[in-house]
Parts: sequence; structure tokens; C-alpha cells
Amino acid sequence: MIELSELRDAVQKAFPPDPLTPDRDQSWQLAAEMGWLILELSDEQGGLGMGRDASATLHYELGKSLPAVPLIPALLGLQAVAASTCLAGKEEWIKRVSGGEYTPLNMLPGAAVEQNADGTLSGVIPGYFEADMARQVVAASAAGFLLIPTDAGGITLSEHPLWDPSRRIFSLELNNYQPDPALVIANPQDAGELHDLISPSAQLAIASDSLGAANTLLEMTIEYLKTRRQFDRPLAMFQALKHRVADHKTALEAAEALLWSRAGPTSSMEELGALKALCVRTFRDIAEDAIQLHGGIGLTEEHPCHRFFKRAMLNCTLAGDVDHWEGVAGRALLSSS
Amino acid sequence: MSEELEQLRSQLREWLDQNAPKDWRESASSHALFAEQQRAWFRKLVDAGYGIPHWPAGWPGGGRSLAEQKVIYEELARADAPRLLLTFVSTYHAFATLHECANDDQRDRLLPGILEGEIWCQGFSEPNAGSDLAAVRTKATRKGDVYIVEGQKVWSTMAQYADRCLLLTRTSDDGPKQAGLTYFLLDMKTPGVSVRPIHQIQGDEEFAEIFLDNVEIPVSERVGEEGQGWAVAQATLASERGLTLMELAYRMRGNLFRLADTIEKRGRSEDCGIQRDLGRLATQVDAVCALADRFLQKRMDDEERIGDASIVKNAYSRALRAWADLGVRVDGYSGQYRQAITFGDLNTGNWMADFMNSYAWTIAGGSEEVQRNIIAERMLEMPREPKNWTLS
Repeated sequence: MIELSELRDAVQKAFPPDPLTPDRDQSWQLAAEMGWLILELSDEQGGLGMGRDASATLHYELGKSLPAVPLIPALLGLQAVAASTCLAGKEEWIKRVSGGEYTPLNMLPGAAVEQNADGTLSGVIPGYFEADMARQVVAASAAGFLLIPTDAGGITLSEHPLWDPSRRIFSLELNNYQPDPALVIANPQDAGELHDLISPSAQLAIASDSLGAANTLLEMTIEYLKTRRQFDRPLAMFQALKHRVADHKTALEAAEALLWSRAGPTSSMEELGALKALCVRTFRDIAEDAIQLHGGIGLTEEHPCHRFFKRAMLNCTLAGDVDHWEGVAGRALLSSS
Repeated sequence: MSEELEQLRSQLREWLDQNAPKDWRESASSHALFAEQQRAWFRKLVDAGYGIPHWPAGWPGGGRSLAEQKVIYEELARADAPRLLLTFVSTYHAFATLHECANDDQRDRLLPGILEGEIWCQGFSEPNAGSDLAAVRTKATRKGDVYIVEGQKVWSTMAQYADRCLLLTRTSDDGPKQAGLTYFLLDMKTPGVSVRPIHQIQGDEEFAEIFLDNVEIPVSERVGEEGQGWAVAQATLASERGLTLMELAYRMRGNLFRLADTIEKRGRSEDCGIQRDLGRLATQVDAVCALADRFLQKRMDDEERIGDASIVKNAYSRALRAWADLGVRVDGYSGQYRQAITFGDLNTGNWMADFMNSYAWTIAGGSEEVQRNIIAERMLEMPREPKNWTLS
């Protein structure tokens, strides 16, 4: 067990905001060595037994550096494995996955996998980050949640180039893939329950990543406004610009307050989904305006503004988009009134 | 400690179940009746020991920690009890000014009256001194044992009911404008004082103008020395912010059902766009509640930064505007049929009235724009604009 403040300091030290997006493979090594893969894993399963707020702290601090290292899908994949009630040799799997064998969960909706008459599976599952480094992935399918080795017969990973340069994303293509009964994480009847167990973590992780990044970007933008001079004065002196920055700061502080108030164990999936919607929207608003506030330099590839912007836009689509979760929150309120 | 807090919470909850007025929205059909209701509710709260939790120990119900005060306001919001508006300036602004800046004689004479229900108002703003408060021009001139005061104050909350006034005046035009200010405690029955309520766009009269025509104020009613008015005024203004905004944010959350009701009533519950807008708004309101909680926690931990209070105010006032905006939108043309207003409440479900009332928080108490300047210049350290601006 480590204190949250120690965790925060450790992440800040290992991932300073400069350089942005440090080398992925080195970062992965480092994350595994620091024990960040086992934060939420229980003591009995060889983990640190920390709460959701530890993961939120990790992703928030990491988010400040626009990390390439795919800790969010890795921790979700591990969570699925650790929660399994039917996986053969589960102990061994937990050891392998928590020891650094990257086993991601997909982060995008739109999986379309059918079970053929002979029991094999065909279709596509989008949304695996950094799958080139994965030995196996966690996949939801008509046959339940499965571990699928990436080198199995009938399995192909194809990369989709992203606008976001901080991450790489792959689709898993299944072509008459014969699922291995020993690698079932959850049977179809239990799949919904497992999904609802993992989804809250996904929402909180994306919300945290977004606010960490938004923080760095807002600071960077303020610094730029203080430095850049036009009309014989720093841009930061113009009230029209100051007021926009003040509004972003206000929105960011409110989103952060909600983040930390919902990072505890009792928040529901719906509450965390609504939180995620607010946080990605806040990140996106700041990222959009940061380009405008930087002026021409914000449109150049050499300036980091666009990297935040592109990450924000991708974050908006992960694990259920803003429209989805805002609709869920609205319907919940309507049905309770 | 948290056990004591929970005990306070359950005691108060029980007391409120028995004692909180239920029909206060309906029964206050005029501003005068609203004032009556406010006086009675304040009396009841003071007698039960919940009216002045922020006063020092020794006063009835005083000596409460900030954590205890927070519990009290959470429970008042939860019970949907009337907010204490009429006595707000007396128990916060006047109290803080007397407690921190006044002399023993002034304190001994004036504090007990507040508990007996004396109403105070604040005479700070003027037609040409709003956001720029230091530009106050109401003139006080020393003449023997009295000052003669001439001028006009505006935006004074419920001054038409006030017994006394916290008055900021100018005694000198030399030096920086802050250095020429002097602070007085004015008896509103003094000859030459007249009050005219301001008719607001939604039909309420929460504010008034105060005219001061050759008004004599004894020197004994001056707070601090001549020229120290600005510092005293800062103590007045710093007296409260965190708890009120927390209470208001909680009340907005507690009244989200009014939006849901209007959505049902107007047959829009299946409208996906409305569902999403409601979900977004509800999350925004939850975020303001969390922000207000966090602000109070920082205060308790002595970690408040300059600008934090401005952030809470702006986050709340924008959410309040959005709250009313969605209501007006869903209510459609029916919302344009004028309805009688409810006094003393920001979240009534009378959407046009609520919408117009929401300006009370983007303009009053330091406008949204002034708060933005504070956030940008004092928290984020962005440079101020050059002074000595002249029309070229």
C-alpha cells in the first residue's frame, strides 16, 4: 500500500511533461517496474489493493505527458482477467498479465463478431491500443469475454493510422477463429456483469487522462500568452483573452472537483459515464481554444498544441461517447423524478 | 469529530421535519408578506440554536466550526427550508464588520439587536461605483461631533426594510481613491435618509436606492479612523461566500426535479436531445456542488488560493443560467405567459422569472467579468491592463 501523494510524486517524477509522449516501450517497462499495473489488484492476487482513486491519480498524472504507454487498456484487461470466475489457470494468467504481458481491452464501440454454425467466430473488433505489443487481447464476443492470442490462427491485427500521434490503434479481425475453451474469461450469460464491472474503471480512467492533459495544455497556453507580445504588450494583458482563459480555468476546476468526488468506490457506472462526458468535453473545449489562442503557431506541426487537440478528439470517442453518457444521465433523472 | 457532525445532522434533520415551513413559496404572495415570513423563520432558527452558527461561542448556537456550519446549510437545503435572505446582511456583513473592526461600545450596543431581528443593509454601491467600488463619491464632512453626509447609494439589498446601514463614504479626495474612504454605521431613521425600492425585470424588489440628504451621523458611529474605510469594507465583503454558494448549489441540485417535471409536462421526455441536455446540465450542477464542497474543505485546511472563491461563484452563476435556460426552452410559449413570482427563491420552475433572476449571480456581488479578472490576474498571474487610460 502506498499513499496517493507518493504515487502522484512518483508519476510526476517518472513522466515530466517534457518530453511529451515519451518512448512507449521504455515507459511500459518503467510502469511495470513501478508496480502501476498492480495498483488495484487485491492483496491475495499479488497486488497493492488500492482503490479507484489510485488509478485515477495515475491516469491523471500520466495524462499530463500525453503518454503513448497504454496503461488504460492494460489495467482494464487485467481487471477482466482478475474478475473471471471461469478462466483456466487464472492465477498464472494474473501473474503473467500483471507482470508486464500486455493484454489490452478494446476501447471503442462497434464490435461486430458473429458465431458461425461450427462455433468459430468471424468479424471485427476495433479499438485495441498498441496491439503490436500484445501477446493476447481481451475480447467481448457472442461466445462471451475471451482471451485471444494475437498469433492464433484466424486472427489478424490491422492498424488504423490515427490523427492522434500519441497513440496507435488496431482492429482485431477474426476469420473463422476457433475460440479456446480454456481461455474463456466470462461465459455469454456472465458477460454483461463483467462489462458493468469494468466500464466504471474505463470511464474514470479516460476522465482522469483528459483532465491531466487539459491541465498541462492550459498552463502551456497561459505561459504562451504571457510571452508573446503584440501591440507592445503581452497578449495576456488583453482582457478578451484573459476572460476566455479564466472561463477555461473555472470549467477545469469544476470538472476536477467532480472527478475527485466520484473517484471513490461507490460511484455507479452511470455517474462515472456522466463524469467522463464532462471531462472529455472540458478537455476538448480547452484544446480547441488553445489552438486559437496560440494563433498561427498553433496550426503548425512542430508546436505541441495539435497533439493535445487530437488526443482530446480521440478521447471523446472512447468507451461510449459524450452523447451516449449525457443521454443516460438525463434519462436517469427523468425516470427518478 | 465526524460522529459529532452526524449527530448534529440528525438532530437538525429531525428539528427541520417538525419546524421548517412547508408552504413558504405559496404563502409569500407579496414582498411584504415575504419579509414577515423571513423574520419569523429567523426568530425560530435563532431560538433553536441554528440561526447564527458562525458567531463566536457565547452567542446562542454560536461557536460552530466551518464543518458544522456546512452541515447546517446542507440540511437547510435538503429540507427545502426558506433561505435567510432578509437577515443575511445583518448576520454576516454587519456582524463581521462589528466583530472585526468596530470598538467595544459599538459592538455592545449593536450586536444584540441583530439577534432580536434588526435588519441591516449595505450602502456600498453607487450609480458610478459598481464594479469599481473605490470610486465611491457619497461625501461625509466632519462638523464638530457629527459628519454631514450627502449622496446616493444603489443596489442595497432589501434596504426598504432596514433599520441600519453599513455605509461607505468619501471623506477626502487626496491620494489614491481607496485612501479617502470612511466607514459608518447609519441609523436608517435619521432625518434625511429616504429609500426607494428598485423594480426588477421579473417583478421583484430585492434591492433599493438610498438617498442621503444632509444626513447627520455622530462621530461615535464611525468604524475605524477616517480614511480606513476601504480596509473595513474588505472585512465586510470577506464575511461570507463559501457557505452561501454551497447552499445554493445544493438547492439547485435539489430542484432539478422541476426541470424534469416541465419536460414531462411539455411531452418532451422521449426527446433524445432534451435528455442529453438535461444529463449534461445535471452533471454540471453536480460539478458545482463538488467544487463548492472542495472550496470549503480548502478553507478548513487553510489551503484556499486567491481566486478560488471567484471560480466557485462563476461556476455556480453559469450553471444557474443554464438551468433556467433549459427550463425556458422546454416550457415553450407557455413560459411566456406571465405568472406570479415566488419571493426568495432562485429555483422556482417559473422559468422566465428564474432566468431573469439568474442575473442576480452573474452581476451582483462582483460581476462575472470582475471575477474573471481576479482569476486571470491574481490566480493565473496574467498582467493587469495599464492604468491611467485616457481617451485619445
